[in-house]
Amino acid sequence: MTETTFSSAAPRSESAGAVAGIWAWLMRHPPAFTLILIVAVSLVVGAINTDFWQVSNLFDILRASVVRGLFALGVLVVLASGGIDVSFTAIAAFVMYAVTMLVVNVVPDMPIVAILALGAVGGACFGGLNGVLVHALKAPSLIVTIGTQYVIRSFLLTFVGTALFMNVPAAMDAFGKLALFTHHSANGSTSTLPAFVLILAVASFVTWWILERTLIGRAVYAVGGNAGVAERLGYNLRTVRIFVFAYAGLLAGIAGIIHVSSNRLANPFDLAGAELEIIAAVVLGGARITGGSGSVIGTLLGVVLITLVSNVLILVGIPSTWQLVIVGIFIILAGAIFSIRGRQS
Amino acid sequence: MQPQPTGGEPHPKPATPFLEVRNIEKHFGGVRALKGVSFSIEAGNIYHLMGENGCGKSTLIKIISGAQGADAGELLIDGKTVTGLTPVAALAAGIETVYQDFSLLPNLSVAENIGLTQQLVSSSGKLARRLDIPKMRATAERALAAVGLPASRAFLSTRTDELPMATRQLIAIARAIASDARLVIMDEPTTALTKHEVDNLIGVVDRLRAKGVAVLFVTHKLDECKSLGGRAIIMRDGQKVAECDVEGHSKTDLAFWMTGKVLDDTRQRSAVTLGEKLLNVEKLSRSGFFADVSLSLRKGEIIGITGLLDSGRNELALALAGVSPADGGSIFLEGNEIRLGKPADAIASGIGYVPEDRLSEGLFLSQSIKDNIVVPVLDRLRNAFGIVDRRRSRALAERTVDDLQVVSAGVDKPVQSLSGGNQQRVLIGRWLTIEPKLLILHGPTVGVDVGSKDTIYRIIQRLAGDGMGVIIISDDLPELLQNSDRIMVMRKGRVVKTFAAEGLAEDVLSRALTDDTIARLQ
Repeated sequence: MTETTFSSAAPRSESAGAVAGIWAWLMRHPPAFTLILIVAVSLVVGAINTDFWQVSNLFDILRASVVRGLFALGVLVVLASGGIDVSFTAIAAFVMYAVTMLVVNVVPDMPIVAILALGAVGGACFGGLNGVLVHALKAPSLIVTIGTQYVIRSFLLTFVGTALFMNVPAAMDAFGKLALFTHHSANGSTSTLPAFVLILAVASFVTWWILERTLIGRAVYAVGGNAGVAERLGYNLRTVRIFVFAYAGLLAGIAGIIHVSSNRLANPFDLAGAELEIIAAVVLGGARITGGSGSVIGTLLGVVLITLVSNVLILVGIPSTWQLVIVGIFIILAGAIFSIRGRQS
Repeated sequence: MQPQPTGGEPHPKPATPFLEVRNIEKHFGGVRALKGVSFSIEAGNIYHLMGENGCGKSTLIKIISGAQGADAGELLIDGKTVTGLTPVAALAAGIETVYQDFSLLPNLSVAENIGLTQQLVSSSGKLARRLDIPKMRATAERALAAVGLPASRAFLSTRTDELPMATRQLIAIARAIASDARLVIMDEPTTALTKHEVDNLIGVVDRLRAKGVAVLFVTHKLDECKSLGGRAIIMRDGQKVAECDVEGHSKTDLAFWMTGKVLDDTRQRSAVTLGEKLLNVEKLSRSGFFADVSLSLRKGEIIGITGLLDSGRNELALALAGVSPADGGSIFLEGNEIRLGKPADAIASGIGYVPEDRLSEGLFLSQSIKDNIVVPVLDRLRNAFGIVDRRRSRALAERTVDDLQVVSAGVDKPVQSLSGGNQQRVLIGRWLTIEPKLLILHGPTVGVDVGSKDTIYRIIQRLAGDGMGVIIISDDLPELLQNSDRIMVMRKGRVVKTFAAEGLAEDVLSRALTDDTIARLQ
């Protein structure tokens, strides 16, 4: 309605009516595209192989979405502020390995809540450092976080260790196995939905609340929309930058702990190279790479889409080497659609 | 219709002025941008801070609004000296600025753009606060009502980058008065507005004054200064050169103080003998933007085209330049039909197009004046090896710069080192290198100061005198009246009226182009 009232009053053809209306609505609600892609992939895969609809498969998709989802929420906040972060996997790897090592060697009976808190604080510190560097150096955040990614990863492998931890602390082991819901299927196999999906649920709610219901959340979008204007209006850019990177680091730290708990293995070489996949998920969920937009719901849908494609294509006989082709096509599609959106507005 | 404010004081004079500026100095590197400026601002009065580009007026308002610190001097609010003024502190003191670019956050909603600032001020700039959405909405509704915009839920949640310019301006003003403003600074507020929208703005300003709010216009538009009244503070070269009531001083006086030159606004166009037919446009259309536009132009003739922002005038200009091609009708140049599917077609046919937004559409700001001028004719300047002949391109650039009286420290200096008026001359000069038969000027003096305007008009007249056909698309009505032979008025995509410019009164022209712009918003 706002469209017709406030845009140009010049003559426009009304012929395309309904189609144009739906198209315009989709342009304003990019996560709807993501949802359509998810439904399409599910229907196609489910039609070819009904195993897709097994509860165990759905549980697997949810389980695999947790670590990605936590990373993606962090990336969302950074992207919304007009920055980009590629160091979060290195932060997660450092935190998960160092915390596991510390707990095993020093306080073997540390409770899981404390371990998660330690991971969160460690991650937030690294992230905060990113924020300080980006602000103080006035450097592009892509460059800064490529740098810190290398430094953190290299520091981990050189000074902390390279050996795999097979015996993770008991608290982490139990946390990874803790089931929220157990399903017994007709053929006798059981599958479980791990309790740590709740952490993603809580993190999603908190992220949504911060972005939509607090002043700092609005400031994140304000800075992402136009940093110069936001500064002139009195928003503190330093606070915003340190906050977004620290928050992304915090979520990455928690994601690292969950990664170890879920795999029952702390491998310092893990998670390397997953950055682009996560950024792609957030962009597929409707966030613009240039900042100022993106939503929690879209991000979660983007994560589900990426996880879906990498988990279920095997069910329809598409070799794993081909999965990235599909992901790549989706990303190009999303890019093209959102570029049309950008030109129209 | 509009009560015309006068220069007198509608309120009893308060004992201490709201704001006092004493001997403010500011240096940038070795340049003294402000050389000891003093003035004071009293509640409920209108002030015009006037001066040409580069006179220091922008720096001065940045200091008053807390965006920059002064190197020396004093700032007093309610008689008390303030030091280390920040943007949030200035807002808290009631100093609100409506910036020239409106400074709206493009991706946030109308309600957020208006209401967030107040929450930021009440938290003293701290961001770890819960957002008070009902309060934000209430603030926005109140402020929108004050500027005459609708406060429907749909409008409140519209992103500001989806709104027309005039509406954005009103939102910027709504934001400024949403909290308890005591001084509203408007930086070049009327640059992007048509006459009708300016009238509406004047109404808003009157309401502010009635509430005892002081308004400081930063401007170089003499007409509006005269119609608003109040006090003029005139700056030149970093110094205050005059302060006086606008009432009782002519535009010529004010312009003289601003520029140090005597300028007049009489008609530049003198009777000329027109040549043969140059351009014939028949029933040109672009669906959704304009329809059935026909016009003909003879050599040496100047046509003005005007209309509101959404009248299709901009799209017509872009179609004639080949930027956004028309999808119906035909264009004949010297009797031959031409197709303008892309800018290169227009250039090849001998049509030069000087765009409206020289910063984003026209100039390569960081490149030299020379490179900016020779860019359309690189083909012609290449030597036997296909490499651009530097000596010839320098000679061409220097000739053009001389010809158009560009004031610069040499053609190798970057274009961004020039003032707005000189940048515009470089842009016009670029198109003269292709020796165009037809020159289309889109808003030729947007953001150009009085002195430069005069020079640009003289250049336009000289080019027409040499037999070039000129089309000026502009919303600056005096500009069209001063320069053109005929003026076409567009409304809702169609040419509704064509006037002979000689002897035409401005209000007749302005009535022809305004319709119910503001009513449409409600």
